[in-house]
Amino acid sequence: MTKSFLATNRSVLVFLLVLSLFTLAVTVMAEATGYGLISTSFVKTLGKTLCLCLIAIAMDVVWGYCGILSLGHFAFFGIGGYAIGMWLMYARTEEIVAGSLANQPLPATPQEVSDAIGTQIFGVVGSSDFPLIWSFAHSLPLQLLAILIVPGLLALVFGWLAFRSRVTGVYLSILTQAMTLALSLYLFQNDSGLRGNNGLSGLQNIPGVSASQDDVSIWFFWASAVALGLGYLLFAFVTSGKMGSVIRAIRDDEARVRFLGYHVESYKLFVFTITAMVAGIAGALYYPQAGIINPAEIAPIASIYLAVWVAIGGRGRLYGAVIGATLVSLLSSWFTGGSAPAINLGFYKIVWTDWWLVLLGLSFVVVTLFFPQGIGGLFDFVAVKRNSDYGPSEGAWRAEEGKPE
Amino acid sequence: MSKRLLEVSGVSVTFDGFRAINNLSIAIAEPELRAVIGPNGAGKTTFMDIITGKTKPDEGKVIWGEKSISLLGMSESQIARAGIGRKFQKPTVFEAQTVRENLAMALKNKRGPFDVLFYRKTANGAARIEALAAEIGLSDQLTRVAGELSHGQKQWLEIGMLLAQDPRLLLVDEPAAGMTPAEREQTTDLLVRAAKTRAVVVVEHDMEFVRRLNCKVTVLHEGSVLAEGSLDHVTQNPDVIEVYLGR
Ligand SMILES: Nc1ncnc2c1ncn2[C@@H]1O[C@H](COP(=O)(O)OP(=O)(O)O)[C@@H](O)[C@H]1O
Ligand SMILES: [Mg+2]
Repeated sequence: MTKSFLATNRSVLVFLLVLSLFTLAVTVMAEATGYGLISTSFVKTLGKTLCLCLIAIAMDVVWGYCGILSLGHFAFFGIGGYAIGMWLMYARTEEIVAGSLANQPLPATPQEVSDAIGTQIFGVVGSSDFPLIWSFAHSLPLQLLAILIVPGLLALVFGWLAFRSRVTGVYLSILTQAMTLALSLYLFQNDSGLRGNNGLSGLQNIPGVSASQDDVSIWFFWASAVALGLGYLLFAFVTSGKMGSVIRAIRDDEARVRFLGYHVESYKLFVFTITAMVAGIAGALYYPQAGIINPAEIAPIASIYLAVWVAIGGRGRLYGAVIGATLVSLLSSWFTGGSAPAINLGFYKIVWTDWWLVLLGLSFVVVTLFFPQGIGGLFDFVAVKRNSDYGPSEGAWRAEEGKPE
Repeated sequence: MSKRLLEVSGVSVTFDGFRAINNLSIAIAEPELRAVIGPNGAGKTTFMDIITGKTKPDEGKVIWGEKSISLLGMSESQIARAGIGRKFQKPTVFEAQTVRENLAMALKNKRGPFDVLFYRKTANGAARIEALAAEIGLSDQLTRVAGELSHGQKQWLEIGMLLAQDPRLLLVDEPAAGMTPAEREQTTDLLVRAAKTRAVVVVEHDMEFVRRLNCKVTVLHEGSVLAEGSLDHVTQNPDVIEVYLGR
C-alpha cells in the first residue's frame, strides 16, 4: 500500500530525497558533526526554518486543499511551544534549585523545593505559586502529550462550533483571527500563569543534558527534518486518493459535496484538527531552537504571514508551501537582520529593515494577482510537457454544439 | 404493483414574503418516471431544494420510504445517504478533477472521513466506474479533467455521478438544457433506462423532451400542482393552456 502510494506520488519521493540531502549537507557542515563551515546559530535558523515548513504544509492542507483560510494556525504552533517550554523551564529550574539547596546542612523538604522553583519561575510576575496550568509541567510525557492534545482539542471545539453553523470564507478567517488574538491577549496577562509578556525562556537548555549548544542544535535540526519528512508523508497521504478528492471537492463546491452524501463539516473538522496538531508539533520543535517564546509570537500577524508564505509558494501543492516558507522566512531574517545592503537612491536611502515588509506585501499582491499558482507553479511547466496528452484536445467539444463558448 | 416512495404533502415556502411553493402535494412511487413541467419561476427547482434538504419549508410534510421517515429534520448529506440523488440545473461537476475521480467520489461507499481516508481502490469499484462511464458515453474520457468536457458531457457526467450513488430516487433538474437534439435523445434514453428500477423525477420545460419520456406529467404553476396525468391529458387542460400560452 505504502509502495503504491509512493509510486503514484513521485513528488513525495523527490521531496524526501531533497530533504535527506539537505540534512546530510548541513550535518557535514555543522560545528558539532562536521567541518564547522556554518555556525551553530545558523544551524538553529535552518532547524527553525524546517519547523516553519512543517506548519506551512499544514496550512497548505487546510487552505490550499480544503479551502479553509485559517488565520489562526500560529496559535496552535504557539501552544505546542508553550507546552514543551513549560517542561523545559520547570525541569531546568528544578536542576538549578536542587544544586543550590544541596549545600544546605538540612535536606530540603519537597515543599521548599517546589517553592524555590516557583519563586525562580514566577518571580518576574511577582508570584511564587504554581498556577493550575503547570500541574503536569514536571512530567515530560504529559507535556509531550499536551503538544498534540491541547491544539487538537482547541481546534476540535472551535472548528465544531464554526463549521456546524456553516461559517465559511471571510467570516471564518475573521473568527480564526479572533481566536488567535484572544489567546495572545490572554497570554499577555501576568495572571495567565504563563509569565505574561515575559513568556518562557532559556528553552535552549535541555535539562539533564550537558552537551554544548553545538550538539543540541544539530539534534534539534535532525528532529525537525524527521518531523517535516513525516509530516509531508502524512499530508501527502491525506491529500491523495479519495480523501484528497473529497477535500478538494469541498474547497471547490462544498454544497455539491453534501448532496453526494458526504458530511462536509466532519471532513473540515478532521482537516482543521489534524493540521492544528501538526502545527503544535512544529511549534514544540521550533521554540527550543529559538530559546524563548512569548505571547507576541502568537500575535495575529504571524498567522497572516503563514498564509503569505503558502500563497507565494503556491497553494494546493505541498512542496509549494515548503518553498514559500523557506524562501520568505530566510529572506525575512536576512532583510530584517540588517545584513541586506541598503540601496542609496541619492535622494532617499532604502533601509531594508524598514522596507522589507513593503517588499513582502508587494510580492504577495503581485503573486496573488499574476501568479496564482505561486512559485510552485513553475514546476507545472516541466510536468505539462511530459503529459501533454492530458491537455485540452479537439475532442473537448463536440461538433454538434458548435464552438465552445 | 409499485409502492409509494416519496410523499410531499401540503408544503409551502415563502421567500421574503413571496410564496414560491404553495400547499404543494406530490407523491412518487418506486419505480416511476415522472416529469415535472411548468413555466419559469413555477417553483420546480425549489421543490427539489425542499426534498434534498437545501430549503426548509414553512409548513407541510415530506415523508420517505417504507418506514415513513420525515426528511425535514435531516441534513443534506443524510438525505443523500438515505437514497436521494440530485442533478442540478446548472451542471455542477468538480471541474478540477478527472472524470474518474468525479465518479469515484460519487460511488456508493461508506461516507465517513476515516472510511474515506483508508479507502482502497477495489477491482469491483473500478469495474463499476467503467460500466457507468460506458452508460453515459464517457468511456474514453475517464482520465480527462472534467472542466475540459463539453457542456453536454458535463451534464452526462453529473447524471453518471447520480447513478454512481445508486439512489432510490433521482431528481434531475433540466438535464437537456444546452444539449443538441442528438444529445437530448441519448439523455432521454438514459433516464428511461434508469427509471426501470428506481424513481426518477425530471424537471424540464421542453415538451418534445417530455413527450419522449412518455410518462406521467405534473404541471406546476405558482408553487402548486395545476394538473397531473399523461402529457396529452395535461396539455388539453384549459388551465395549462392558459398558463403556457398566456405567458
Ligand atoms: N433562495 C431564494 N430566495 C428568494 N427567492 C427565491 C429563492 N429561490 C427561489 N426563489 C424564487 O422562487 C420562485 C421559484 O423559483 P424556482 O424554483 O427556481 O423556479 P423554477 O425552477 O420553476 O424556474 C422564483 O420566483 C424565484 O425567484
Ligand atoms: Mg429551475
